Amino acid sequence: MAEAQKVYEIPIGPIHPALKEPIRFTFQVEGERIRGVDVRPGFAHRGIEFMGLKRNLIQVLYLSERICGICSISHPIAITLAVERAAGIEVPPRAQYLRVIFSELERIHSHLLWAGVAAHELGFDTLLHLTWKVREEVLDVLEELSGNRIDYSIPIYGGVRRDIAPEQYPKVEAMIRHYRGLLEELLDAFLRDPSVAARTRGVGVLTAEEADSLCAVGPTARASGLAKDVRQDRPYLVYGELGVRAITPRDWGLEPRGDVYDKAVVRLLEIGQSLDLIEKCLHEMPDGEITAFPKIPALLAFLKKAEGEGLGWHEAPRGEVIHYIRLEAGVEEPVAWKVKAPTYSNLMSWVPMFRDQEVADIPIIAASIDPCMCCMDRVHVVQDGSPSTLLKEELLRLSRAKTERVLQGLSRVGGGA
Amino acid sequence: MTADEVVAALRTAVPDLAVELRPRKAGVRAPLEVPELWATIGRDQLLPAVSALKGAGPLHISIISGRDLGETIELLYHFAVGYGTPGGEVVVTLRVPVPASDPTVPSICGILPGAETTEREKIEFLGVRFTGIPRSDHVFLPDGFPGHPWRKGDPETAKLVKRTVEWEKRDG
Repeated sequence: MAEAQKVYEIPIGPIHPALKEPIRFTFQVEGERIRGVDVRPGFAHRGIEFMGLKRNLIQVLYLSERICGICSISHPIAITLAVERAAGIEVPPRAQYLRVIFSELERIHSHLLWAGVAAHELGFDTLLHLTWKVREEVLDVLEELSGNRIDYSIPIYGGVRRDIAPEQYPKVEAMIRHYRGLLEELLDAFLRDPSVAARTRGVGVLTAEEADSLCAVGPTARASGLAKDVRQDRPYLVYGELGVRAITPRDWGLEPRGDVYDKAVVRLLEIGQSLDLIEKCLHEMPDGEITAFPKIPALLAFLKKAEGEGLGWHEAPRGEVIHYIRLEAGVEEPVAWKVKAPTYSNLMSWVPMFRDQEVADIPIIAASIDPCMCCMDRVHVVQDGSPSTLLKEELLRLSRAKTERVLQGLSRVGGGA
Repeated sequence: MTADEVVAALRTAVPDLAVELRPRKAGVRAPLEVPELWATIGRDQLLPAVSALKGAGPLHISIISGRDLGETIELLYHFAVGYGTPGGEVVVTLRVPVPASDPTVPSICGILPGAETTEREKIEFLGVRFTGIPRSDHVFLPDGFPGHPWRKGDPETAKLVKRTVEWEKRDG
């Protein structure tokens, strides 16, 4: 035991490698291997639920939209479903289809965003630029339909605020055709590329048993082989009629292993699934009213008299979103409001995913749950009590250097891809 | 998974439990009925009830929500039983009232490790104590924040709100 490895603690964050929101990881590292991790969120806690209890329900709706920029349709859908359940409001059929169309458009842009971030973490910047260029198409359609690239302000209690006009249909259909043509190219670039596989296979594994006991949700759970999708399991809106099935790596002909590669498989295949759903909705959507309450003052007056409690859920791009709300007659504000976003459920999955992995894989494992890496600033390394600082670039350099090593190894073995 | 199967499982753990079925209609052409169950149980019945749900099918906890009713703190455990089959999941909400003077509840982490985050959140926001929870430090609030923001009239939260309002006025 002359050269017994020391275990060092490496705190990363709260301003950090791979997520939009600040979060702090404290890694216990032995040599290059991660032996344990402690995850500490809360740095962006804004007290939104507390604020919601001081505002009327219409204000709460717009507040919910600002919980997350990328999921800015998911939270409004969950809260409108919860309030409609509590107050007994029926949503017109056309509005239900419209909500599904916007949700699936959001899923496409969110998954493409993630794919680009994942490519960047691995050092494949050409792929990042290709993916994000491609993503503009769906953002253009969202802007055309709602006026905004994110924060669409589409759902309202009792329906939606905007219809899709007949002259806009061809634009949505053109987008579907565009992505169908590109999808095979994206699948080639990500899933049939030996260098991507070499950097993501066996990395950040979450077994099916762990995903089940830790109550993981969304692509994180599905990549481990759990056919768990709220749209399929407990249908809402028109998802039950659209025949949504949870996508797992089995749909790509692979036995699920729960690693980063499998998470890419699930997300990329879900883009194709969302295209099918949007197309189906466009064809099946009946004409008619888009909201039960065209006048906001009438809606507010109705909600003020409402009494009851309700749950609303939705499969956001990253997994299950659920809202609980309780209304009391004579009060404009909700008396209870609880929001659960998908990352809340996936938080604990990081612990087994990071175990025994390399430091160079930290960015891609962290990103495998959720996409943005724009806010990573620095890493603080504590060695023998004397702290030194590693910049974000250094961690990225480690990740890219590993990719280089892996690629050299690949070309030696297979003579290049 | 059907609602009847889940009710039967719950009643093996808590005999004669009153369970309210609130089915919800989903869809427009051929609407489906999604079962939703609501039941109020005592805190001593929580562990047997959750074990029974776990035995009934794959168990998922969405969230524990809660609110301060004055003398009582109401905790709502929102579960989903039986994912994996289309339309096959039953949403179960267990309402557990606990006295505000002694807000202690057994932790369900032994049965469902995924409940840890949401239990820890209830410790900081409602001041509930969970016996047997693996970790009880803060998740979302700063370490050492003395108050519980969802408790009615919490003085620490009131101070925080007052300060924020003063800042906003200054900015305005």
